[in-house]
Parts: sequence; C-alpha cells; structure tokens
Amino acid sequence: MSKILELPNDLYEKIEETIKGTEFKSVEEYVIFVLEEVLKEEEEAEPLSPEEEAQVKERLKGLGYL
Amino acid sequence: MLVIGIDGATWKVIRPNIERLPHIHQLMEEGSYATIHLTQKPWSPSVWCSMFSGRSSEEHRHKDFVQNGHIVRREDIKVEFIWDLLDKNGISVKALNIPFVVPPYCFKVKFEPVAHGLPIEEPELLEEITKVTEKALEVLNNDRPEVFIVVYTALDRLSHLHWGEPLLVDYYKKIDNALGKLLKYDNEVIVISDHGFCAYDEAPIRTLLKHTPRGEIKGDHHPDAILITKNINFHISQPTDVFYCIKEKYLGQANE
Repeated sequence: MSKILELPNDLYEKIEETIKGTEFKSVEEYVIFVLEEVLKEEEEAEPLSPEEEAQVKERLKGLGYL
Repeated sequence: MLVIGIDGATWKVIRPNIERLPHIHQLMEEGSYATIHLTQKPWSPSVWCSMFSGRSSEEHRHKDFVQNGHIVRREDIKVEFIWDLLDKNGISVKALNIPFVVPPYCFKVKFEPVAHGLPIEEPELLEEITKVTEKALEVLNNDRPEVFIVVYTALDRLSHLHWGEPLLVDYYKKIDNALGKLLKYDNEVIVISDHGFCAYDEAPIRTLLKHTPRGEIKGDHHPDAILITKNINFHISQPTDVFYCIKEKYLGQANE
C-alpha cells in the first residue's frame, strides 16, 4: 500500500539534479531514503555523554549492581 | 498483543496484597497465572535479553549492564530481538523502556527514560511510572501497533533499597493503577517479571553487593518471577518462551 504526496516543482527539479549519477533511480526512491533516515535518527536514543555515563555507573553502584 | 514487563515483581508482595491490587486481581481471574522458576541467573540485563531474543544467557552472552568498564549498548549484543524479526516481516511492533541495557531500549518509540532508566529517589520512581504510562497510552491511542511491549523498572529499583517496607506496597498499587489504564487496549496480554525479590539474606542466589554508596541493600533478586496471561495459547515456562509465543502467533514458526 502506498500514498501519494505532492512536492513543489522546484524541489522536485532540485532532487532530479542531485541524484544524477548516483545510485538513486528516481526522485521517489531518494525521497523515501531520506525520510527513512530522518525517522530512524529521531527514533534512536542519543548516546550518553561521558558525564552521563559516570552518572549511570554511580547509580548502578548505588543499587548494588557494580 | 500487549506485553507488560514489571521488573522485579514478585508474588511475595502481590499475593498478600491482592485485594489492594484490583487490576492485577481482575487479570488473574480473567486469565491464568503462574510462577516462572528461572533456570538462568535472576539478573535483569540477561533475563530481559533472553525474553525478547529467545536466546539463553549462554547464547546471547549479554551478562551485565557494564562490561569491561563500558556501558553495553544494543549494538553490542549480537542477537535479533522479537521486534527486529516482526518488523522485518511487516508486523507493526513497538517497544518501550526495555531494561536489558541502560538507558532502557526503545524500538520505534522516542522516549527519554527517567534518570537513564535507573530511578532511585522517590520522586524519580513516581515519575517513571507516570512517564512510561503516558508514553504507552500515547502509543496505544495514536499509532497502536499489533504488538506493543512496555516495561516498568521502578519496583526493582525500589525493592533493592526498601524491601520489606510498607512503601513498597504503595508502589505496587501505583503499578496496578497504571496496568488498569493499559489493559483496556488489548485482549491478548502477557504480564511478566524478569525475576522476583526477597530479603537480602534469604536470596538463594546472591546477585547484589550488600553495601553501596547509598546504604545497605535490603532486597535481592529471587529466581521466582511472576506470569499472568490472558488469551495466550502458548505455554510460557521460561522468559525465552515469550519470544517464541509472539513469534508463533505472528509468524507461525514457534521453535525454529
């Protein structure tokens, strides 16, 4: 199943230019790839900073895990 | 199908307080319930990993939240989880706050766990129950998948430091209240813990250090976990069976 989305002409043309000579066979394929990547990034958890890692280890110690 | 995990939940607290836990009570009456006698160490990272990968601890080799000084991440564990498998086969699935790693893992849900999934202080423990429930309801109301898995960690954290205190029963009541909100959304339900709990000195397998920077540990993990199911026609005797139960229902190949 799929849905139809509209793209502004200038954006469509820009993508056509962008994908010339790449592995993308169509504007649609490129748009799907980009959207999937964006969504994946949004769903993935941010990695912990060194300070946050230290906090996690401190809490694990506090609970008797470490 | 709705799978609700309650880290560290034990019949030792539920049974004597069942009249104060109306939603758990009702689910037990409508469905069936049992004790899971773990054959693996009652250790959260390893058991949750087994439950949703179908692999024994020897197979998945995920032993701890921290290994060789490094916090283990999902990418470090070389297994396919049930959500990966279902998603690959076009079955909609979401997972929220699964504590086989810290911070707990989410699949297709954007969520920031309270205190990196290790709530300790009372306000954090309350906030965890509220935040997990709110996010779960958001998922169930707005974009409900065929399979939704959600885990509460607060009872485990509280049981480490406050086992035997009246405060613990109050948190079971809060979890019961949260369950009441979620159980309305599905008729096929699994409620399960990764291990039980007991007084520290009564633990048949010692898993936690007794003295910590936050004081003395009062409770330790016990190998008897809880299981309550409704409309689930699959015999679950170990955590790994949850993986095979879901797999059989949606992909039809339980033990391959």
